[in-house]
Amino acid sequence: MDYIVFEIGIAVLLVALAGLLASKLKFSVVPFYILAGMAVGPHAPVFGILDFRFIQSAELIEFMGKIGVIFLLFYLGLEFSVGRLVKAGKSIAIGGTIYIGINFTLGLLFGFATGFGIKETLVIAGITTISSSAIVAKVLVDLKRTANPETEMILGIIMFEDVFLAVYLSVLSGLLLSGATSIGGILLSAALALGYMLLILVIGRKAVPLLNKLLNIPSNEIFMCTVFAALFLIAGFSETIHVAEAIGALLVGLVLAETSHMHRIEKIILPFRDFFGALFFFSFGLTIDPLSLGGNAVWLAIGAVILTMIGNYSAGMLAGKTAKLSPKSSSNVGLTIMSRGEFSIIVANLGAAGGLAAILQPFAAIYVLILAILGPLMTKESKWIHNGIARIFRLKK
Amino acid sequence: MANIRETDLPGIGRKFSVETEESEKISIIVHEDGKREIFHNPPDSPEEYELVVTLGDVEARQIASIIGGMSYRPSGLEQAELSLSQLSIEWYKLKRNMDCLGKTIGDLAIRENTGTVVIASIESSRKQKISPGPEYVLQEGYTLVVAGERSGIQILKQLLERGSG
Repeated sequence: MDYIVFEIGIAVLLVALAGLLASKLKFSVVPFYILAGMAVGPHAPVFGILDFRFIQSAELIEFMGKIGVIFLLFYLGLEFSVGRLVKAGKSIAIGGTIYIGINFTLGLLFGFATGFGIKETLVIAGITTISSSAIVAKVLVDLKRTANPETEMILGIIMFEDVFLAVYLSVLSGLLLSGATSIGGILLSAALALGYMLLILVIGRKAVPLLNKLLNIPSNEIFMCTVFAALFLIAGFSETIHVAEAIGALLVGLVLAETSHMHRIEKIILPFRDFFGALFFFSFGLTIDPLSLGGNAVWLAIGAVILTMIGNYSAGMLAGKTAKLSPKSSSNVGLTIMSRGEFSIIVANLGAAGGLAAILQPFAAIYVLILAILGPLMTKESKWIHNGIARIFRLKK
Repeated sequence: MANIRETDLPGIGRKFSVETEESEKISIIVHEDGKREIFHNPPDSPEEYELVVTLGDVEARQIASIIGGMSYRPSGLEQAELSLSQLSIEWYKLKRNMDCLGKTIGDLAIRENTGTVVIASIESSRKQKISPGPEYVLQEGYTLVVAGERSGIQILKQLLERGSG
């Protein structure tokens, strides 16, 4: 029998329950979606027609998760603007560079030190460097810290990271998806990916007046279909030339952000991003069998978490110092940017798509689970943590 | 004038930092979903902003109209008025150089001279005196709430300034 709709129903119900539980416990929803997926993965028991293994629907759920990534990155592109980044100023550029410099270097060192090859190490560094915009923004709002002086710096660094993510994903996808083996081939495919991005951006910029006219559609339905068509076509086409779909989606977002229809698109996309985004985390959880988690992946993740905590805290202190923030505010910067989430998983998925070591996915899952829970907690308790560290290192007040 | 700085908070909304003439610092966050938050910065801890109030979109608009003086003009202003056809109600603040200070309402014979009535007085300490009698002494800083016809109120103003009919 074909129970595919029913199975999807159960999957969405599980996601909803996980989300409800998370909001009851006042935690970020991200780890709960992943945990829900892990709990019912391919090894879950079957109760009559309640088949939690999602055999029939596995492909469909996976596909919906893929759509989730596309929407997540599309929205990121839509929200991003160069004007904003330029306005955010020099302190952000310095802070962001410090932050990424420290964390990326630590990630690379960690990858090499634990004996991975260069491709795996690059993926690991990507996973550990990029924090979650969604979690950080939400934590700031929840903790009523939006008016604090360090918040501008935090959001600026996050934005800076988003740019880094875009460039890094494109280089990485050129490197991993093309299947090139020689250094020349790798460089060529990375250059190809970057060139493709630039090409779309340049053409997109020129096409803004035309797009403004084309998108002048009164019917919401037709408007939505047109936008979605552009999004999926370009994301899909990107994949055919070995550029991650996520990058294609990001590019479409960046181009459409320049049009006068940006706000309308944003409004239409938001519910899709939220729904498919939730399924993305769930489907990621599904790919991980909790029983296979013992051993290496766990230790690797714990090591990376410790390294990330040290790296983020010192980066925050340094970045805060350059922006002349007080030590307490600087400490807030480092502790807030600690949360990891969607972007780490996107990078890990890219690693899986490139056929890299299978341990990367469970590693990313545990790493994100720990930091998606620990990050917001540390942000909340930043006062105590800062006082504790200040006492240990005898920092000046 | 208050000093207002506007900054973008990507992913959250927009922040307006205000420093008033009295060196009070407040921040107003306009969230993308329409929520407004007003934060206050206590002078003793410059990096910690305390949330004063959270408002929904509609609430924020209502309160903005109150703050903007669209439904009521504050008594601290020199004068304000409210007209109901012929009748005007005005607020009138007594200033240092006026000659009526120290005299009573009876001394000035306000009702007889102007046809207006002092319906209330707000004293410097924010204390209110509703319907002050003829023995009520006018002091600097008081705000008189006066009802009457416009012409009468004009005469009253002159009377208060010169201190005699």
